[in-house]
Amino acid sequence: MARERVRLSQIRVYWPLYLIILPSVFLIFLFMYFPALSGTVFSFFRWNGDELATYINVRNYQLAFTDPKLGRAFVIVGILFVAALFQMIPSIVTAVVIHRISSDKWRYWYRLLFVVPMVVPAMVGLLIWRFFYDPVVGLLNSFLMSTGLLSILADINKYLVDAGFGSHIVFKAGQPPSWLGDPNLVLPALIIYGFPWIGIIGVLIYLSGLEKIPSSVYECAELDGVGWLGKFFYIELPLIATQVRVNLVLMIIGVLQGYWLILVLLGDSGGPGGAAMVPGLYMYHNAFIEREAGYACAIGIILFVIILILTGINNKYVRVEK
Amino acid sequence: MSIRRESLTTRLLKHGYLWLVLAVTFLPFYVMLVVAFKTNSQFFAHPFVFTFPFHWENWKTGWDAVGVHIANSVFLAVTATVISLIISVMASYVFGRYRIPFGDVFWMAILILLLMPGIANLIPLFNLMKELHMLNSLVALSIVGASGGQIICLYVLRNFIEDMPKEFFECARIDGASHLQQIVHVVIPQTGGIISTLAILQFVGQWNSFILPLIVLRDPSKLPLAVALYRLQGAYTKQWGPLMAAYFISAVPLIILFAFTMRFFIRGISEGAIKG
Repeated sequence: MARERVRLSQIRVYWPLYLIILPSVFLIFLFMYFPALSGTVFSFFRWNGDELATYINVRNYQLAFTDPKLGRAFVIVGILFVAALFQMIPSIVTAVVIHRISSDKWRYWYRLLFVVPMVVPAMVGLLIWRFFYDPVVGLLNSFLMSTGLLSILADINKYLVDAGFGSHIVFKAGQPPSWLGDPNLVLPALIIYGFPWIGIIGVLIYLSGLEKIPSSVYECAELDGVGWLGKFFYIELPLIATQVRVNLVLMIIGVLQGYWLILVLLGDSGGPGGAAMVPGLYMYHNAFIEREAGYACAIGIILFVIILILTGINNKYVRVEK
Repeated sequence: MSIRRESLTTRLLKHGYLWLVLAVTFLPFYVMLVVAFKTNSQFFAHPFVFTFPFHWENWKTGWDAVGVHIANSVFLAVTATVISLIISVMASYVFGRYRIPFGDVFWMAILILLLMPGIANLIPLFNLMKELHMLNSLVALSIVGASGGQIICLYVLRNFIEDMPKEFFECARIDGASHLQQIVHVVIPQTGGIISTLAILQFVGQWNSFILPLIVLRDPSKLPLAVALYRLQGAYTKQWGPLMAAYFISAVPLIILFAFTMRFFIRGISEGAIKG
């Protein structure tokens, strides 16, 4: 429907329209734009989060670009980001498998069953994982020890160290590894977290794309003798490129803002030796523990710019093939 | 979807894969249920199978620990959802139907926010709430939550309203309906399905909100669920049974919500509530 044009001269009749959008626009400017602007302003101050603020020009930014801790935080979040790229695969595969189930009834039931875990509050899910990692009573170590996987891991570990690929003995047979207490295991633990990494909203978004594929496309492929793997790479993956892009944006924002997860699992200093100190957590740490709120604002702005650049790249280069 | 009859092996493989993934996904449920009935000595002896006798009193202890916080979270999530939907339905009616002077400027300001992560805002937002004396208040928290949550609603609803046939509104207007009456009698019935999907997304989002409540609320009795559970796990480390019972109880409100709305939700998202 074409929208009705209201001219400036008609405003005497149409002024109530502004009243209708007022609550929305007011709240957006008060709670989103105003903080964003004042955050930008405060990033040029040395500020303890309270009354005390001194203008220091771009010194916070200079500090940020030379701060080895922040640099390390970006490396860590980069590793998590690459892991998250691979973690997108199970959701895509699951969506495709559900889509290829031939019975309508089962397709519906699988969706239903995959939505059910959403009822668990995110915090409970996280705390259960924390419990899984527990060195003594956790499920992960019980699994590794009862299946004998731990001694295999220990052998591999020993072999790698002997061969010169690394110097840390992390796994020892008969000794439960401390997933959240050993600086060498913190990142692997964070990557395992959430296994099998199925995000149901993501799966539903992929399915919405898959369902738009006309069955004639599949019929042609079958006549040409395209196998199941071929169908995935030549039909399904290209035709859900839009949905992949949406999920990629959600993932980028999720990884950079997901520092609360590390806060809960490992505490506000990023675990043993700060092995999981990511930029978001570093910002939080600076603002509320070190009382360097100005510096924290500067880190926030840098993160914002990075997210904008990444989503921009995503929109430009992850093209939809029509 | 396929023209050829597929072999039994293929079918078994597909269903087998999905059941395997589901089993792992449901593992936390199983662990919560099994451990929730145990005393610590039962837990250390046989952690992951059912043991007898069942200790139902764990559930009472668990409920005492989280009951009030569930109430806080329900209040927070319901208020934020209702506020964000009311204001976004109203605003999308205007943005979807009319081109008012400066309207496009406001709309661009809203669209940019879709990309802007909350992360840059956290500290100045905390400061602003302090200046406005909004710390330690659940109502304030729900208003702030609604202002952020409404953005995705505005985006989705405006697209829907723009695609609605003009005649609906024309008829209503000839009958003398005001703007608000048109919103109530035309927009809401027509977009009901999409509104319920958005409502669930808002509710779940608020239900899981953690960082802002963590830094804004001081009063222990006002804490919403996520923050309370975070604090609780320190205090209860040695009592796994009641702790797991409390975790399971925390899932109940969303179980109730989803029991009634799951169909809308799946249909809403599958039919493209969130477009690419």
